Amino acid sequence: MSTIRKNKQTIILLAFVLPALLFYAVFTIAPAFGGVWYSLTNWNGLNPTYEMVGFANYAEALTNDPSFIKSVGFTFKYVIFMVILQNAIALTLAVFIESRKRSKVLFRTVFFMPNMLSLIIGGFMWVFIFTKVLPILAEQTGIQQLDQSWIGDPAYSFYAIIILSLWGGVGYQMVIYIAALQGVPASLREAAAIDGASSLQAFRYVTLPMIYPAITIGIFLTLSSSFKVFDAVFALTGGGPGRSTQVIALNIVDEAFRFNQRYGYASAKAIILFVIVLILTIIQLWVMKKREVEA
Amino acid sequence: MKAQRRVIRSSMGSGAGHAFIFLFLLAAAVITLFPIYMAVLNSLKSDGEMLNQVLAWPSSVTFANYADAYEKIDFLRSFVNTVVVTLIGVTGIIVFASMAGYKMSRTPGKLSRFLFSLFVLSSLIPFHSILITLVKIAKELKVQGTTYGLGFIYIGLGVALAIFLYHGFVKSIPRDLDEAAVMDGCGELRLYATIIFPLLLPITATVAILNALWMWNDFLLPLLMLTNSDYYTLLISTNMLFGEYNNDWSAILASLVLTMLPIMAVYLVLQKYILSGIAEGAIKG
Repeated sequence: MSTIRKNKQTIILLAFVLPALLFYAVFTIAPAFGGVWYSLTNWNGLNPTYEMVGFANYAEALTNDPSFIKSVGFTFKYVIFMVILQNAIALTLAVFIESRKRSKVLFRTVFFMPNMLSLIIGGFMWVFIFTKVLPILAEQTGIQQLDQSWIGDPAYSFYAIIILSLWGGVGYQMVIYIAALQGVPASLREAAAIDGASSLQAFRYVTLPMIYPAITIGIFLTLSSSFKVFDAVFALTGGGPGRSTQVIALNIVDEAFRFNQRYGYASAKAIILFVIVLILTIIQLWVMKKREVEA
Repeated sequence: MKAQRRVIRSSMGSGAGHAFIFLFLLAAAVITLFPIYMAVLNSLKSDGEMLNQVLAWPSSVTFANYADAYEKIDFLRSFVNTVVVTLIGVTGIIVFASMAGYKMSRTPGKLSRFLFSLFVLSSLIPFHSILITLVKIAKELKVQGTTYGLGFIYIGLGVALAIFLYHGFVKSIPRDLDEAAVMDGCGELRLYATIIFPLLLPITATVAILNALWMWNDFLLPLLMLTNSDYYTLLISTNMLFGEYNNDWSAILASLVLTMLPIMAVYLVLQKYILSGIAEGAIKG
């Protein structure tokens, strides 16, 4: 009786899971394994046959491909700027907004608005700002610093990419931090105020420790999303001039679909990206968990 | 008494602080809205006026740029294509993920746990790592190049996170409910469809919002999948326009505003739900 019931239960389980599993297996699992497999081959988009080449693709990517190494460095620099700035700005906005009464909803609505748009749309708008509006604004206000080659000069386009990404991303983190701040009981802050703590002290010693878990989430999300940045760079500079502002994802896509169609080689780079993201995720979760326990 | 005085003093002292906070937020709001404002403003000007007087109000408002952009990005067709992709993807994810998440959450045992961890595992894989092979598989299965094919791919890519959210939510629904229904002779599928699924509504709303936003705004996958302009989504059409008419800012800005309109309308109407959905999805995911 019980084995029959158990078998029936298993069949029902499989029946309910099967549709999801089918789509997931075909469009996520299979390409993931396929990516690992092809990364060991010299598969080329133009050529129907391919051979195993072992780890030659990995060796080439890591030792003999300056543009890839440069894109890794560029991405790291981007990630560091984004993790710090995005979370700092979002937290500041969230704390400030939460201290407002009537204008709370309005500010929240405005700051989240760019998140509703694709960074392709936002990116094209910013191209207009950087190339057509800022030069004129510089002329009219006398602030000459605004008139730079924001898109054409890699030294400036890095900051242009950061500005666009912050514009499009800060609202998301802000919403998480607002939700966390609303979870901090008002009575705790009042008690701190009665004990004579300034509002800055109350924030540092009462509010901040209470929202550590949200900060973990915030940093974790920025870390993994900014490593995979693509749209912002594509819309603003397309990786150029030359390949000077190429990020890893763009380097992979260009390798596979724009320049050489070296699918096998591009797959190896894609696996390298996966390994980097994985290692960073593990380190970051470990560090934050430890800090939460201590706090 | 002393403590009371301190509280009073600290709230009085923060008058200047409040003004500073307000000004800070105001400045940030101006910067946030500036690109959108500039795009709208200049899309209403004639070509010559736009380039000379970028910051000024239009001397005479013209909608000619919109007529031009509407045609160049084939707005209606692109819009319908985007709706079709999003609808197929979101519906598929909601139905399949709620079924799977519910059943795995309710069934004890190794198989159930294994299946669940199989789905959770994928959250570690960056999309770009599977992209190349995904394009090849899509070609072989003949789902590359069409809106419904793209919708199917989104189901496969998005179903795992949705299962994770449903799996957690189902735990909050009492098991007695299932047992009572089974006792009354209710079949498994009917139990799910008529009793469980309606109770999942709060998390279904979150899943729908997160996925609709993702699919509506996703760019790279449609760029690689849709090769025929009949199937272009709004973003792909706009990107093509940007590439083709690189310096025709009048048409580009008008097309950006057109592309932005539907999602902005949705945002202003549903923003309460969208913001709570985002917060929930981020914290649980």
